[in-house]
Amino acid sequence: MRRPANLVYTLDDIPPLHVTAFNAIQHVGLIAINLVYPLLVFHLVDTPLPMVANLLAVGMIVLGAATLLQVMRLGPIGSGFLCPATFSAAYLSPSLLAAKAGGLPLLFGMTLFAGLLEVALSRALHRLRAVFPAELSGVVIFMIGLSGGAAGLRSLLAADAAPVSAAEWQVAAFTLAVMVGLNVWGKGLLRMLCALIGLAAGYAAAAFAGLFGNGQLNGMDNMPWVAAPGFGHLSWSFELVMAVPFAIACVAATMKALGTITVCQRMVDADWVRPDMRSATRGVLADGISTALAGLLNAVGTNTSTPSVGLASATGVASRRVGIVIGLLFLALGLLPKLTTLLALMPRSVMVAALLFSICFILINGVQVMTSRLLDSRKTLVIGLALIAGSSVEIFPVIAAHAGASWRPMIGSSLVFATLVGFTLNLLFRIGVKQTVALTIEPARIDAQQVDDFLRQQGGRWGARPDVIGRAIFAANQLVEAVTENCWKSGPLTLQASFDEFNLDVRLSYRGEPLEFPDRRPTDQEIRETDEGMRRLAGFMLRHNADRMRSEAQGDVATVHFHFDH
Amino acid sequence: MEITEFKSGTVTAVALKGRVDSSTAGTLKDRLSKLIESGLAQLVIDFRDVAYISSAGFRTLLIVAKQSADAHGRLALCGIAGEVKRLFDIAAFTDLFLILPSREEAIAAIAQAGASGKSGASASGKSRT
Repeated sequence: MRRPANLVYTLDDIPPLHVTAFNAIQHVGLIAINLVYPLLVFHLVDTPLPMVANLLAVGMIVLGAATLLQVMRLGPIGSGFLCPATFSAAYLSPSLLAAKAGGLPLLFGMTLFAGLLEVALSRALHRLRAVFPAELSGVVIFMIGLSGGAAGLRSLLAADAAPVSAAEWQVAAFTLAVMVGLNVWGKGLLRMLCALIGLAAGYAAAAFAGLFGNGQLNGMDNMPWVAAPGFGHLSWSFELVMAVPFAIACVAATMKALGTITVCQRMVDADWVRPDMRSATRGVLADGISTALAGLLNAVGTNTSTPSVGLASATGVASRRVGIVIGLLFLALGLLPKLTTLLALMPRSVMVAALLFSICFILINGVQVMTSRLLDSRKTLVIGLALIAGSSVEIFPVIAAHAGASWRPMIGSSLVFATLVGFTLNLLFRIGVKQTVALTIEPARIDAQQVDDFLRQQGGRWGARPDVIGRAIFAANQLVEAVTENCWKSGPLTLQASFDEFNLDVRLSYRGEPLEFPDRRPTDQEIRETDEGMRRLAGFMLRHNADRMRSEAQGDVATVHFHFDH
Repeated sequence: MEITEFKSGTVTAVALKGRVDSSTAGTLKDRLSKLIESGLAQLVIDFRDVAYISSAGFRTLLIVAKQSADAHGRLALCGIAGEVKRLFDIAAFTDLFLILPSREEAIAAIAQAGASGKSGASASGKSRT
């Protein structure tokens, strides 16, 4: 592992105390915006204020334990990266469904189920990636944003809720404006903590507008500064119909944890080439245990915090020590009843603003993941029809209302319906897609565009990453060029490409001499003055273009294999 | 491949469009050599519209750089991004040439180097012999 130049403190470094403390506080501030998710759920079922404050305190303790579990590497658990935990938007929509259907016990029971499922999935990450390709993950992330946002707004602004006053609209607009303004035009710390500063500004504006109830804030005077939360509330229940939405949220959380940990791997290693599945498995296992712990202690589902990893990358401080302090800070915050009560009092106008702000990033993240692969008409239809299906459920609730009881668990949630439509179509559209294809090239009529089109079209059918297909196209074109000019004797060249979700293999067979693939680059003079130098440059580039390669000869047939990790 | 020339003072910018491979490298070399032989050795090659470059294209660059240096000229490259940048990196050509983001910057750099009397095929001049 080689330290990247922009990383000031890597995993095992111990930064000075003030750097550690300041960075840890920034991470906690960044994660705080996601407190809006449990608040929305508790708000939906009219949970009494002291209970909400207590549940938030428990949630803080869960976040602290989850962060320590992820950072510290206990036995086979934990990635060991600075990858703190946060409450996850993935669980918002299913949590609202569960809370509405069976109250908080059902929410906590199903969260425990989702955590245990993620623990099981951590053992099968390879298979999960194969049946759940990137474009489908993008659909799920997008629908998490759409369904979570719609459900959250509906719970706050529903017809049976108290009418929204002009002052509340003004506070919401002001809070959102502060968050957006600092995010777009702010610099440094102001930009990084825009959500936290926006929340504080929203609280101040709400107090100024008189949105806190009589005596709500005064009631905090009688509370102790430090006290452990109570655990007398523990209760769980389970319902089979809720298994589907929570399983889908769990898959989304698993994929996101896998992605976040991969980003961490790249951040600390300048020589990073491909995901290290050992630390990814350990990290996803820690993530699953954390969500199970959340369900067990009665909190909402957790996940790795992507913005936090972005912050570590931006500051160049990725020390494990900072992660430990973040975990300890959350544990400490869970012991401050005044703080958790203040958070529990968050006015709905502030909550709406925070929800809208965080959803923007989830939606765009979904779009980016969807378009991170080459998309042919099949993939386009998978994405398009899944999004239409999910959006229809949100726009026309009558669809779910008129569905039979047995269909309602699948059609009742836009997230579930979109995921199921996408998953089914993806499996269906695999019919007729060959995993191995071949192209015959006549050396007398070489058309470079033909090789380009062949690999690019096939990449679209496979849903391959554009950068990997780009490398394969160079390999094929440069090899065909070098072989026909230097090594070819007779007959056509055969180009073969094979793909699965993890590997792209390209093979070229021809009658002729094997090409040399040197480790050492020829000198400029050799390249400039001799054909041998140019040939060896081609071999050198081809060797370094692929993740692995080998060349073999049987009789007068030479074959070159290139392997690309996908 | 399309080759288009632009004059800017003493500097000649050559914009390429398409692929620089064994089937087009010869044409490119002939065109650039003629420019140098006619006294236009202050050159900028714009790769903004180039999608692919092979070992034959890289060889041409080395030959032209040497010819330009022998004629007391200078050579800069611009518009190298994405896949072409990756190929420059794996061929270990990135450090060999003066590479600037835009044509305007490359022309200015060559003109400035000319005004200060600096000579050589590229500003870096790190030829591996």
